[in-house]
Amino acid sequence: MMATQTDAVRVAKASHAASRRRQKNPTGVFGALSHIALIVWTILVVGPILWTFLASFKTNPEIVGDAPLALPDNFSWASWGRAWEKAHIGRYMLNTVFVVGVSTLFTMLFGSMAAYVLARYRFFGNRAIYYLFVSGLSFPVFLALVPLFFVVRNLGLIDTHIGVILVYIAYSLPFTVFFLTAFFKTLPNSVAEAAMMDGASHTRTFFQIMVPMARPGLISITIFNILGQWNQYLLPIVLLSGSVEDKWLITQGIANINTTAGYEADWPGLFAALSMAIIPMLIVYIIFQRQIQSGLTAGAVK
Amino acid sequence: MSNSAGTPREITRRQMLRRIGLTALVAGPAASMLSACATSGGNSAASPTATAGGAATSAANPFGVAADAPLEVVIFKGGLGDSYATDVHEPLYKKEFPKASVKHVATQQIAQTLQPRFASGDVPDFIANSGSDLMDNGALQTEGQLLDLTQLFDAPSLDDPSKKVRDTLIPGTVESGLIAGKPYILNYVSSGYGLWYNGKLFQEKGWTPPKTFDEFKTLCETIKKAGITPYAYAGKNASYYQYWMILITAAKIEGNQLLIDIDNLEDGVWNRDSVKQSAAAWAEIGKFMDKSYEGLIHTEVQTRQNQDKVALYPSGSWLENEQKSNTPDTFEYAVTPTPSLTPSDKMPFEAIRSAAGEPYIIPSKGKNTAGALEYARIMLSKEGAKGFTEKSGSLTVVVGAAEGLSLSPGLKSINDAQTAAGANIVTYSSFENWYKELETELRKQTNSLMFGRITAEEFCAKMQKKADAVKADSSTTKQNRTV
Amino acid sequence: MRQGDGGLAARLVSARARKYGFIFSFLAIPLILYVVFVISPYAQAFYISLTNWRGISANPQFIGFENFTRLLDDDVFWAAVRHHGLLLLAMPLITIAIALFFSFLLNLGGGSRGGRMTGVRGSRFYRVVYFFPQVLAVAVVGVLFQAIYRPDQTGVLNGLLKWVGVNPVGWLINTDLALWSIMGVVVWQSVGFYVVLFSAGMSAIPSDVFEAAALDGAGRFRLFFSITLPLIWDTIQVGWVYLGIAAFDCFALVQVLSVDRGGPDNATTVLPLEIWRTAFTFSKFGYASAMGVALFFLTITFAALSLRVTRRERIEL
Repeated sequence: MMATQTDAVRVAKASHAASRRRQKNPTGVFGALSHIALIVWTILVVGPILWTFLASFKTNPEIVGDAPLALPDNFSWASWGRAWEKAHIGRYMLNTVFVVGVSTLFTMLFGSMAAYVLARYRFFGNRAIYYLFVSGLSFPVFLALVPLFFVVRNLGLIDTHIGVILVYIAYSLPFTVFFLTAFFKTLPNSVAEAAMMDGASHTRTFFQIMVPMARPGLISITIFNILGQWNQYLLPIVLLSGSVEDKWLITQGIANINTTAGYEADWPGLFAALSMAIIPMLIVYIIFQRQIQSGLTAGAVK
Repeated sequence: MSNSAGTPREITRRQMLRRIGLTALVAGPAASMLSACATSGGNSAASPTATAGGAATSAANPFGVAADAPLEVVIFKGGLGDSYATDVHEPLYKKEFPKASVKHVATQQIAQTLQPRFASGDVPDFIANSGSDLMDNGALQTEGQLLDLTQLFDAPSLDDPSKKVRDTLIPGTVESGLIAGKPYILNYVSSGYGLWYNGKLFQEKGWTPPKTFDEFKTLCETIKKAGITPYAYAGKNASYYQYWMILITAAKIEGNQLLIDIDNLEDGVWNRDSVKQSAAAWAEIGKFMDKSYEGLIHTEVQTRQNQDKVALYPSGSWLENEQKSNTPDTFEYAVTPTPSLTPSDKMPFEAIRSAAGEPYIIPSKGKNTAGALEYARIMLSKEGAKGFTEKSGSLTVVVGAAEGLSLSPGLKSINDAQTAAGANIVTYSSFENWYKELETELRKQTNSLMFGRITAEEFCAKMQKKADAVKADSSTTKQNRTV
Repeated sequence: MRQGDGGLAARLVSARARKYGFIFSFLAIPLILYVVFVISPYAQAFYISLTNWRGISANPQFIGFENFTRLLDDDVFWAAVRHHGLLLLAMPLITIAIALFFSFLLNLGGGSRGGRMTGVRGSRFYRVVYFFPQVLAVAVVGVLFQAIYRPDQTGVLNGLLKWVGVNPVGWLINTDLALWSIMGVVVWQSVGFYVVLFSAGMSAIPSDVFEAAALDGAGRFRLFFSITLPLIWDTIQVGWVYLGIAAFDCFALVQVLSVDRGGPDNATTVLPLEIWRTAFTFSKFGYASAMGVALFFLTITFAALSLRVTRRERIEL
């Protein structure tokens, strides 16, 4: 956000200074080639997604048949009904929205609190704690799966969304702390110091001054965490077992229907379920794409 | 989806008759023969495993099930579905114990779902331990996590209290679930294995199923000319369908003892001539397969077969049911045994692999093991078994349970083949459950062999190397079987 | 950092107390969560790697470094390590090259207009669309590419090739091609993200730099190689670290896409997959944990090296 603003200012200045000077137009061979390249990649990106939608309307023989690129003979929604009923995509989606929403919120709260303290206060053990967090970036999750199960179970949180949320928060902290620490360090000292001089408490300084200043970084890391937690595949399998199917998350649902489709040979149903998982994400992304992109870049470039 | 009905090496004529009756549906007279010679060996006094959640035992309640104890059942929801549990077995259990609540869990990731629960001691009461993510039964047993099922097999049958449960089952069923000499696994489904084809297509084209590998190759040439892939299996996730075929052919050459020796990790067993010859013969057939089949999963290949793009496909008798919704009217499943390789084969062409499969287990640390045993006894009643066959389209190990059900073409075909095979039965392979590492290696090398990346010699050498490694691995408990 | 003006000792003490109270209150919850759910399981895993635990019993037997010496002779383990090496080199290179190319077109490819460098027409649209794959769950992407890479004519990609008269390609069954095909999926998914990342870097370059260069008559190639590339070098290095860490994963894609999970002939296997298989299929949690520890040291070595090379600590310290 900050970046866009300063950009705007800069552009305004530049156009003042340079008036309306226009350089040679970049058409010609290069322009044509670059457009072709861009369009080809667009097709590569959109094609498979579009194909998934189409395949959900096809019949089994059409999907397994010799003309994978043909359009379906007639558009039937039957597979969507099956997928909705059997795969419970709607419920899994709501579960996931709830879990990811809550855990991202608290990841950001706890992560920025820890990062702020680590970035701006000198105390014994600061570096040790910082490296403890950062080392978590390189731990492979698999290594922890079975012991983690016991930890969660001993707390009585297995098969609960609270358990998943706490684990998600904990596993998102290394990344969050690592980047936000760097981010808080780049913020100027003067404002915070002035506030402290005026008698603001540490806590108030943090919430009322530092957090607003750090907004671009916070947004960017929030997006990272939402994407990462939404896509999480292993942790839910271990933490939400088959006995609480109604609490499952979307990736479990997809994996499950993929296996089921394998056993029952219901490919259209599989692609209908995939489409149901894809469409809401795309819609949300398209609505918020401006914020997402500027947020991502503001934090990442710092 | 592995394992099989154990068959003693020397099958008597009576046993043979029984098998015919049993695997299929005839049954009536066979059942009465059974009581005469119980497979036994089950000295129940030897293993008096206490049951949990117990009440007093009685003739009607041999395990002492507490009437209100909840029961948790975990079902692998694969090709058989899980309606046989929700619509048949669980209601039957509830009918017997109306105060008990039954918790039903369906999953395809058995290991991921249950491994941690075993580790924590919070286990379900009854498990269908199946699918590609099943748990290692050998490891479970070694850790004392499995309940010895001797008391189940020695309990009175629900249909006829004068008979023990074990005497109502196809011979070899109990043996196929032995680990360290005791029955820990209930293999419930009776499956026949062979090469499946579209009977209508073969009739229309005038093709006859091959009796020897020479005929097999000639037929493959003919089929290829007709524009159809003569033979295929799914390399991506079902290469074990193919290694069954290789093992069957090897067992036909050398005799069924080979499979026992493989399970017992006998030195040099993979380098025996029979294995080499079989591997080489199948590699030749592999040349008729399109390379692309290595990248397809079983239902994809099976759907292609339904479209008459593939002629012969190796599988077991669940195939027809699995493909039910994709089979057009022009397709009628039929099965043929694997062809003979040499004139000196120990077993005739008709010999077929018949096995009890689909392992069900009872965790020893469950809260209601008595209930689980009773649940298993219900499954092994005629009513439970018949309901299973109706819901899943697969036959069970319960003798005569499918009586009165009309047979689909595929089931009829496998039934005929088993009748023709008589005592010439190729049995199960326990290494699939005992030594998953060996099994994983065999899947890998089977693909390499069949898709032409290694020779039969290399195949044997690699398998022997892995078998040696497993044998030398002190952390893997070694199992042994004699039948 | 500064603790008040510190005149009176009492005020100083209370300021110190307040400061440490604050530090404690802010660190306590995150640290407890992290130690309980992340550190303690990992610590246990390190111990398990020294045992022959089979994942079921409560009595793992301590066997010292036996699991690690066995790793040295394990062909599959080394195949997986080699694949990580290849992924580590090729995946970031390809992704970054493609992303740089597109972000250059989208930001600077339109030449200068009104004194400011602009992207080609429709650049906003492309930037939005290219990001699509990033919002799809890996599980979804895996299943989707199953259909795209199907090895015969029924595969989407092979269907396309048929139009131009090329025989079907065994994307995932050719041992020389399979890993590259899986890498292709990762690239497909990540390019959009790096386009956005690099675009941000490029838009942060002061426009007078380009102006000056344009006045000197610099062509597009010089514009790219002598100006853009050096100026966004830091951003590229950040991207390389992200992608490098991703190269140590790839579990979900390999599991869903590859033949026989990691095949054919171990051609696509990666450490996370072998850990998974060893633990959950072979029930050898001790040995699996040893592989996990090895993976941990590989990842941390990479992270440390790249942080050193890219001097990222300059930014964080």
